[in-house]
Amino acid sequence: MQAIKRKKQKETIIEGFFLICAFVAVISVLAITVFVFFNGLKPFISNSYSLWDFLTGVEWRPGSNMFGIFYMIVGSIFATLGAILIGVPVAIFTAVYISELAGSRIGKMIRFAVELLAGIPSVLYGVFGLGIIVPYVLKISPMAQGESLLATILVLAIMILPTVVSISETSISAVPKEYREGSYALGASKIQTIFKVVLPAARSGIMTGVILGIGRAIGETMAVMLVCGNPIAGIPTSLFDQIRPLTTNIALEMGYASGVHQELLYSTGVVLFIFIMIINLAVNKLVKAKVGS
Amino acid sequence: MGRKAKDSLIKGVIYLATGITLSVLLFIVGFIFIKGIGLVNWDFLTRDFNENVVYAFIESNDVPLTIDEETLNGKNPYDKRYETHLEGPIYVENIGAAIAKVAYKNHSTEREQFVITYIEKDSPFNRAIDSTGKSITIGTDYILQSINGNDFTSLTLAEVAETISAESGELKIKVVQPGGGIKSNIITTLYMVLLSLIVALPLGIFGAIYLTEYAKPGRLVNMIRFAAECLAGIPSIIFGLFGMAFFVVALKFQISLISGSLTVAIILLPVIIRSTEEALKTVPMAFREGSLALGATKLQTIFKVVLPCAVPGIATAVLLSIGRVVGESAALLLTAGTVAQIPGTLFSPGSTLTVQAYYVAKEEGNIELACAIGIVIIVIVIVLNILSRVTSDKLDVFNKK
Repeated sequence: MQAIKRKKQKETIIEGFFLICAFVAVISVLAITVFVFFNGLKPFISNSYSLWDFLTGVEWRPGSNMFGIFYMIVGSIFATLGAILIGVPVAIFTAVYISELAGSRIGKMIRFAVELLAGIPSVLYGVFGLGIIVPYVLKISPMAQGESLLATILVLAIMILPTVVSISETSISAVPKEYREGSYALGASKIQTIFKVVLPAARSGIMTGVILGIGRAIGETMAVMLVCGNPIAGIPTSLFDQIRPLTTNIALEMGYASGVHQELLYSTGVVLFIFIMIINLAVNKLVKAKVGS
Repeated sequence: MGRKAKDSLIKGVIYLATGITLSVLLFIVGFIFIKGIGLVNWDFLTRDFNENVVYAFIESNDVPLTIDEETLNGKNPYDKRYETHLEGPIYVENIGAAIAKVAYKNHSTEREQFVITYIEKDSPFNRAIDSTGKSITIGTDYILQSINGNDFTSLTLAEVAETISAESGELKIKVVQPGGGIKSNIITTLYMVLLSLIVALPLGIFGAIYLTEYAKPGRLVNMIRFAAECLAGIPSIIFGLFGMAFFVVALKFQISLISGSLTVAIILLPVIIRSTEEALKTVPMAFREGSLALGATKLQTIFKVVLPCAVPGIATAVLLSIGRVVGESAALLLTAGTVAQIPGTLFSPGSTLTVQAYYVAKEEGNIELACAIGIVIIVIVIVLNILSRVTSDKLDVFNKK
C-alpha cells in the first residue's frame, strides 16, 4: 500500500513538473509583455516625454531630444502593404500550381524549394537586397541612393512568399475532393473550379497565411535595415523615398542608447508589439472560425 | 473571350507566378554563391576575423635552403584578395624562411607588408614560443613587422632581409596572423546552438508531454497553447528588447553568450513544443493502452513507450531549432553583440555567423564577405532541411502501416 502511495506521489510531483515546463511559455509571454511595456511606458508616466509628441512626431533626433515615430509607423505600414500587394498574388498562384496543377513530383520539388526559401535567414535576404535590388532601384530612381521604400517592399515581398505559399497550399489541399468533382459535374473547367470553388472554400486558410505574412513583414528587422535607408525624418511620399520602419529604429540604436532615448526605443517596441498582438488575435479568430465551420 | 482562351490566360498567370517564386529562390542562392564563392577556402573557415598580433620568440639557427630558386619563386601562399605581390621572395637563412613584400589591404587601409612565403622544415619558426613560453604556430602568409625592436616600416625587402640576418641568438619577432576568417563566428554559433538547446529542449519536450499526455481540455491548456502561438508570432526584435531588458540589464548578464542563448531559448520554445506535440500525437493510443494494461504506470509508459516512438519527431524539432538559432540575428544583435571573438566565458560577447554577415554588409559594406558567410549558412540550412526530411519520414511509419 505504502509503495503504491509513494509511487502515486512521485507521479503527481512529476506531473506538476511537466505542467511547470509547459507553463514557461505562458510566463515568457507575460514577462516579455511586462518588461517591454514597463520600460516603454516609463517615459510617458514619468512625463519625461509627451506621448502625443512621440506618436505624432515626424523627426527622430536623439541629439536634440526629438523622438517622433509617426513617420516610422507610416513607413512600416507602407512597406508591409506594398509587400502584401506584390507578394500575396504570386504566393497564392504558386500555391494553386503546387496543389492543383503540378504533378506530384514537380509539386514536391517546388515545395522543397519553398521550404528552402523559408529557411534562408533574413540577413541574407538583406544582403541580396543590398547587392542586387538597391543598385537596381538606384538606376531607375531620381534620388541619389537606392535604399528606399521600393527596395524594402521588394525584399519583404520575397520574404513573405514562403509563409503565404505553404499555408495557402495546405488549406487548398484540404478542400474536399467532392467540391471539385461537383463543380466538374456541372461542366465547369479546371480553372473555373479552382477560382470559383476551391479558392473560396480555402479562403480562411489563405487569409491566415496572408495575416501571418503581414506579421512577418511588419516584424522583419535585419533584412529591412540593410535596404531601407533609415532616415532621421520625413514621411515617405514616393516609392524612392527612404523609410525607417519601427523595427530598424530599435535595432539601430539600442546598442548605445541610454536614459530617455533608450526608454523611447522600448516605447517603439510597444507600438510594434501592439501591431503584432492585433495580428495574432486576428489569426487566432480566423483559425477558430475555420474550426467552427 | 472564350472560356478556353480565358482559362489558358489564367493558367499562364499561374505558371508565371510559380516561375517567379522559383527564380527568386534560384536568383538569391545563385547570387550569394557566385558573389561569395571566391572567398570561401580553408583559411576563411579556420582563421579569426580580426588580425592577431603576437610576439614570437625563436632561437636563430642557420638553415640552408633545400629547394631550388624557381620552386621558391613559385610559392605565393598569400591571399590574393588582400595581398598584391610587390617584391621577392628572398630566403633568409638564420630564420629558415623566405619573405616577400606585398601590398596588404585590410578593411579600408592598404599598407606594404612583409609576408612569409616559405618555411623550411628545420626552421626555428617551427619551434616558436610566445612570451609565456607556450608554443605557437607560425605559418606561411603570416606578416612580419619587427625583429628585436627594429621596425620594418618603410624598409625595402633587401633591407629587411639584411636586418633579420644581422640579428642572432634569441629573436623577438612581431608577427601578425592575418584575419578575414570566420572561425570565431562558427564556434560562437555552435556554442549558441548548444546552450539554447540545453535550456529549451527539456522545457519544450516536457511541456509538450504535459499538453498531450496529461492535460484535460480546458482553460489552462488553451492558455498554454495561446501563449505558445503568441511566442511564435512575436518578431525577434521584440525578443531582443526583452532579452536586453531582462537578461542583459536586470540580471546583469551583460551583452553575452548567456544572454543571447537564453533569449534564443525562448524563441525556440514554441518550435520545440509544437513539433514534439505533433510527434507524440502520431504514437497510436494502442501503444499506451498496451503498456498500461501490462501494469506500467503512466510515467513509465511515457518514458519507455511513447517517447522512444516519438524520437524522430523530437529529432526534427532539434533540427528545426538549430536552423532557427543559425538564422537568428535581430535578437542576438541586441543580446550577444557583434564582437567577432570566441567567447571565453558564458559572460563574454560573441557574434554568430548571421550577425557577422549583417555586420560586414552594413558596417563595412563588404557584400562579397557577407555572401561568403552566407554560403556557409545556406549549406548548413540545406543540410538541416534534408536531415529533417529524413527524420520526419521516419515518424510517418506508424501511420503508413
